[in-house]
Amino acid sequence: MAIRSDQGIVLRSYPFGEADRVVVLLSPNRGKIRTVAKGVRRTKSRFGGRLEPFTHVDLVVYEGRQLDTITQATVIETFARVRLDLERVMAAGTMVEAVDAVAQENENSHRLFLLLLRGLKALDHGGGGRDLVSAFLLKLAGVVGVAPALSRCAACGREEGLDRFSFASGGAVCVNCRPEGAVRLRSGLTSYLASLAAADLSFLPPSDPALSGEAMGVARRFVEYHLDRRLGSLAVLDG
Amino acid sequence: MFEGPLQRLIDELARLPGVGRKSAQRMAFHLLGVEREDALRLSSAIVDMRDQLRICSRCYNVTASEECTICRDSKRDQTVVCVVERAQDIAVIERTQEFRGRYHVLGGAISPIGGIGPSQLRIAELGKRIEDEGIMELILATNPTVEGDVTAMYIAREMKPRGVRVTRLAMGLPVGGDLDYADELTLGRALAGRSEL
Repeated sequence: MAIRSDQGIVLRSYPFGEADRVVVLLSPNRGKIRTVAKGVRRTKSRFGGRLEPFTHVDLVVYEGRQLDTITQATVIETFARVRLDLERVMAAGTMVEAVDAVAQENENSHRLFLLLLRGLKALDHGGGGRDLVSAFLLKLAGVVGVAPALSRCAACGREEGLDRFSFASGGAVCVNCRPEGAVRLRSGLTSYLASLAAADLSFLPPSDPALSGEAMGVARRFVEYHLDRRLGSLAVLDG
Repeated sequence: MFEGPLQRLIDELARLPGVGRKSAQRMAFHLLGVEREDALRLSSAIVDMRDQLRICSRCYNVTASEECTICRDSKRDQTVVCVVERAQDIAVIERTQEFRGRYHVLGGAISPIGGIGPSQLRIAELGKRIEDEGIMELILATNPTVEGDVTAMYIAREMKPRGVRVTRLAMGLPVGGDLDYADELTLGRALAGRSEL
């Protein structure tokens, strides 16, 4: 049993025993880690709000047989403004939920970690809306190795006439290929998605209200299709 | 391991939250030594609670009659409603003796990961109460967690257009705590919600 220091972003936590919580974090070096925070549910806990979701913390953990126990937590960044309005919490919730779904334990996760950090930073600085969520989801797909083809047909590689999208084939498809289940996209949506996928999360291209809703729909369905999992945070706002 | 009836009691006790095998055994052996009437009192308390309690038709607190004692108390302020996640939370707020209004129990908090959406909570029922009872203020006393915050923001968004004042419990430093140990998130909210002396 050893003491180890680590850092991570809190993805979620759930009650454990009388006043403890199991805190699930994404660590750049170790991937998804599960740790026990003793007594956090008490009002006077020394951890207080340090282990709330979306917080980037520096940790000292005591390695246990099954779960590690947090002995110290220092905040690196709270992203407090993420929690100020419903749209932003849900956007952050979607990011964290998607990361939780793809992160593995004991696996180097630097790229995923940086993606999440940049996503939360962009949200905290007030950027956001649907385009940020779409861009984040498209980039997440890239990090886990299923980046959608957006500049050439996923089936034949042609670069023109990409006005359809196939979730199963993995991206935009051209008029000639049209695999089964491909949906028709509004004109300009393919290049809009491509620009989101390539953008810096803090400097997104100007939002097009006519396209951003559908863009998020495509990004969300694409990620849900490949993760085989529904993203609940987005569904809550729909009712 | 033990004789039939004793083992049966140990098994039942061990099913309670926070009670392990060893504690169940200790309780069972203690009960073995009590008077018959004491044992009956315990058993009937359990059965009576099970049979007599139900949910208050107005605020969804647990009650032994149609409406709970708080809702029936005409001396309480009927224009202010404190919204809590669980019925247990009512007792905590009552102990402060600072609140003289009524309550509304949501039955949980919005949790995307847990699959709990607004429609699974008693939010529509709250909306109906605002219209029927002439409520002027909602005090949102959900937990200061992401789930509680989301629930509070959602309720505020839904209820404010109905012309009701919506407030949230202040967040800040625990009484008797040390500033040195306050975390950034809590201290930030304490600063944002500071009050004039």
